[in-house]
Amino acid sequence: MSAVIIPAGLAIAQPMPDVLPPVKPRRGVLGFLRRYPTIAIGGGLLLAMLCIAVFAPFLWTKDPTSLAPALRTREPGAQFWFGSDMLGRDVYSRVLYGARVSLLVGFSVAFLASVIGLTIGLFSGFIRLADSIVMRVMDGMMSIPPILLAIALMALTRGSVQNVILAITIAEIPRVTRLVRGVVLSLREQPYVDAAVASGTGTVMIMWRHILPNTLAPLTVQATYICAAAMITEAILSFIGAGTPPIIPSWGNIMAEGRALWQVKPYIVFFPAVFLSITVLAVNLLGDGLRDAIDPRLAKKL
Amino acid sequence: MWAYIIRRVLATIPVMAFVALFVFSLLYLAPGDPAAVIAGDQATPDDVERIRASLGLDRPYLVRFSEWVFRILQGDLGTSIFTNLPVGHMIAQRIEPTLSLMIVTLCLALSIAIPMGVVAAWKQGTWIDRAVMGFAVLGFSVPVFVVGYLLAYVFALELDWFPVQGYTPFAQGFFPWIENLVLPAVALGGVYIALIARITRATMLEVLQQDYIRTARAKGAGQSSILFLHALKNAAVPIVTVVGIGIALLIGGAVVTESVFAIPGLGRLTVDAILRRDYPVIQGVVLLFSFVYVLVNLGIDLLYTFLDPRIRY
Amino acid sequence: MERRNLLKGAVAAATVTAAAPAISQNAAARTLRFVPQANLANFDPIWGTQYVVRNAAAAVWDTLYGVDENLVPQRQMVEGETVSSDGLTWEFRLRPGLIFHDGTPVLAKDVVASINRWAPRDPMGQMLRAIQDELVAVDDRNFRWKLKRPYPKMKYALGKCGTPCCFIMPERIAATAGNSMISEYVGSGPMTFKRDEWVPGARAVFEKFGRYTPREGAASWLAGGKRILVDRLEWVVMPDPATAANALQAGEVDWWESPISDLVPLLRRNRNILVDIADPLGNIGSFRMNHLHAPFNNLKVRQAVMMALSQEDYMRAVVGSDTALWSVLGGFFTPGTSSYSEAGGEVMKRSNMEGAKRLLAESGYANEPVTCLVGQDQPLLKPMGDVTADLLRRLGMNVDFVATDWGTVGQRRAVRNPPGQGGWSMFHTWHAGADCVNPAGYNAVRANGDGAWFGWPSVPAVEAGVAEWFDAPTAETEKAAIDKINRAAVENVVYAPTGFFKSYQAWRRNVSGVVKGPLPFFWGVSKT
Repeated sequence: MSAVIIPAGLAIAQPMPDVLPPVKPRRGVLGFLRRYPTIAIGGGLLLAMLCIAVFAPFLWTKDPTSLAPALRTREPGAQFWFGSDMLGRDVYSRVLYGARVSLLVGFSVAFLASVIGLTIGLFSGFIRLADSIVMRVMDGMMSIPPILLAIALMALTRGSVQNVILAITIAEIPRVTRLVRGVVLSLREQPYVDAAVASGTGTVMIMWRHILPNTLAPLTVQATYICAAAMITEAILSFIGAGTPPIIPSWGNIMAEGRALWQVKPYIVFFPAVFLSITVLAVNLLGDGLRDAIDPRLAKKL
Repeated sequence: MWAYIIRRVLATIPVMAFVALFVFSLLYLAPGDPAAVIAGDQATPDDVERIRASLGLDRPYLVRFSEWVFRILQGDLGTSIFTNLPVGHMIAQRIEPTLSLMIVTLCLALSIAIPMGVVAAWKQGTWIDRAVMGFAVLGFSVPVFVVGYLLAYVFALELDWFPVQGYTPFAQGFFPWIENLVLPAVALGGVYIALIARITRATMLEVLQQDYIRTARAKGAGQSSILFLHALKNAAVPIVTVVGIGIALLIGGAVVTESVFAIPGLGRLTVDAILRRDYPVIQGVVLLFSFVYVLVNLGIDLLYTFLDPRIRY
Repeated sequence: MERRNLLKGAVAAATVTAAAPAISQNAAARTLRFVPQANLANFDPIWGTQYVVRNAAAAVWDTLYGVDENLVPQRQMVEGETVSSDGLTWEFRLRPGLIFHDGTPVLAKDVVASINRWAPRDPMGQMLRAIQDELVAVDDRNFRWKLKRPYPKMKYALGKCGTPCCFIMPERIAATAGNSMISEYVGSGPMTFKRDEWVPGARAVFEKFGRYTPREGAASWLAGGKRILVDRLEWVVMPDPATAANALQAGEVDWWESPISDLVPLLRRNRNILVDIADPLGNIGSFRMNHLHAPFNNLKVRQAVMMALSQEDYMRAVVGSDTALWSVLGGFFTPGTSSYSEAGGEVMKRSNMEGAKRLLAESGYANEPVTCLVGQDQPLLKPMGDVTADLLRRLGMNVDFVATDWGTVGQRRAVRNPPGQGGWSMFHTWHAGADCVNPAGYNAVRANGDGAWFGWPSVPAVEAGVAEWFDAPTAETEKAAIDKINRAAVENVVYAPTGFFKSYQAWRRNVSGVVKGPLPFFWGVSKT
């Protein structure tokens, strides 16, 4: 959730550029990727992880939940590539299947928080009456540290992937709302918006035609950071036992189960940790790359 | 200026009111019946009903909310379902380790991150700059418990430089105290360092292009004096803002770090309470952390008026 | 293994200026630091029946009788007792010089109040209350218990180590209703509880009570002279076994009650650490079914599960690959004791998945969901739950896996509604072998329907066996009654045992006097 804060903070501190410079891929896709190597690296890694998640059953995995207590805590080797855990489950299979939970949570939260935050932000930026109430609520929500907010929400429900997504989404909405509202407030003062208002264009139309397009760029960047933050939060929730139900292999769950033995069997914690870190790194690189590509003025500074 | 300060202080009231409402609703909406937990294994339904009445759980939402707020204002955070101890007492017992961890992490992060950011801005575009930025991305990407286990493995188990776990109260001496906090603070500080280094670099780049810096250079002021005296002073406001906002990261991270390093602080209390669904404790901790977070950011806002006299309200 | 300490030089320098570390060094030798099996979350040994609460309470409160290492009850607070020839009237006399930690003497009225609080919460106490005529304090040191029927196991009931134990508290504390927690911890035993230093989830502190008068002779489990040889006992709660192992290796703690077997090789490599079996009586794992509701109200479904169940799988998942630590059970009673019986228990000993599937098909099982309550915070129960989910799925049952905390399991298992309405189908727990040596303390094997333990099995044949055991005049007739109970319990699957397992305990070499037993005994333990 760290990365979320800077762009949001900056977006408030300094208004977004009035008109976003168009990005023209000079020499096709390859040229574009050469200009923005972070997008290439981040996107590539993320794509690889996505493939792992989707094609997990075909990547020489076993059933990630099937037990073999007689074959427990085997070191990584020919039989178990990443070793086996305390119940004799195959860590390799569990880690690969774990990618599904992490990516599902990351993408879902990024999408939901963006859509909901965008809607709330647009309306609160445009309707003064709603603004003061909405922003008080958002301030209140933001004053609860996001992980604590998610933990508190998880305490209310039974652990399931949907509830994890919901809890993290709620915790991330305020930041999106503030970002969008900031953009809307700065754009609302623009002459062409004034002109549109004067010419009698309806509010919804103005939002749709003038405001929304200008919001999408910073929001896309923000969404990638939310995605990264959500994946980390999911892992933390599962790690402390308040997240994805333990019967579903997720990276946080695998680490939580392996932590008792991490001194003697470090690989049980090590493999999911590496996969999680690489995935989050990929998303963050992609986000940085997108920000550079979309907004060179900001990019030079950050 | 005074009007601003008063306005700013008053603005925290609705925020805290919202937090209180949320935290209270948490207990109200909580599944399971605290009365049944309190009654224990062999209680009859009558016992449960009696306890429910004695706790006032059978009254309407708003009545309970106002009573609850009234008690909170008197400093009464309620009683833990599982230990039968006052929540305020349980929290008080655990403040020192968490506060120590936060302070050490903050000192560590600031003393590493700000020089990092300044140097990166100064050497913009060089390999130093890239290394700093690369580190920042890594800091955001590697979760705190992964860093924690890695550090414990290398520096406590393999090299045996630091204790693996635990906490020694400050009263038993500075060195035993700090010894236990070094690894957790580094683990917890990773993200924070990344955050502050990035914002420092960004603001410094902007400040370094200003006229007065050019003037200072022209006057022949030394490089370090320009960076740290002139530029950093003017870059202070955004940096301090992020330091304040980042406290939320520290609080979230502390929950995990304390579990990894077995520090008996508020984070561990939170995790234990979640696992047992001890709602009064969860309420108390969320309320306290949010209150601290709001206060810190209020303090920082007010600090601006002194840091940067150009800001007028 | 001493830490090559980065800060050591600095610490040494600091010692010169401040004398405090030197003093605390001295105090350290008089302080025993102990890592308990679980967090001491509450401290009312009558209200809460977790073993960890009992273990702490045994140091703080004394009992009238106490079982020795042969599980024979010996006089503890009682100086002597007389039983009338018809076996109906018991007269007890307290030992002189007994005082509570607040300095007031222990009087017969305190004892009566304590018994009155304990009895309704204990299976044997309930039996006593059912046949009780009167329980009165005669004077300060004598009390009388008149019964309507003889109760030969009286001393065992008052001195057993199974939870809840009949701990003696001051009358005003014992007056607390059984379903609210006590909030004052004035004990009668050899150690005082430092309430102000208690940090639930992290620490509990006990101090030697200087005015406690131990009995003559050596201590043996809960009996004999309970002499405390340290000034202070600190319970350090560890969040996970890995941290506990580190702390023990580094000498930051002295004694670890329940190291997991995977870490034992690591501990054994350290010359300063001794590892031994904690309790020869071990534990019996339990797959507890709800006999009131589908599917486990169907005898054939219960039998199918028992037939399919592989105790070896459970034991490897729970205890690990160290086969010295566990064995497969052919009965419900504690192996290695005279009451262990395998009567009718062949079916338990090996998994027969094919037979079980046939039995399940015959049973008319209509794919009703099996609501499994699994406490994720219990290191022994979590792996059992994982094995069960896998087992039931392979058997072809519809698993509704509720991953929750042990507190919630404890709450929900008391609900008698059908699984769909807040109830449950099965949960896991374990019973200390010391509680399973005979039917008196073994409430989990009882099958008296509504009065039975959670799951409420109703098997008249088991109850008939229990009645025979209570009235059994000789060891042979007791054994015959046990065989009868065992056969009926297996046939009707009162519950499905998941195996017999022992655990280790580990302590630093400079600690002496650690004994094997169903709970850690702190008397006789010293540290150099």
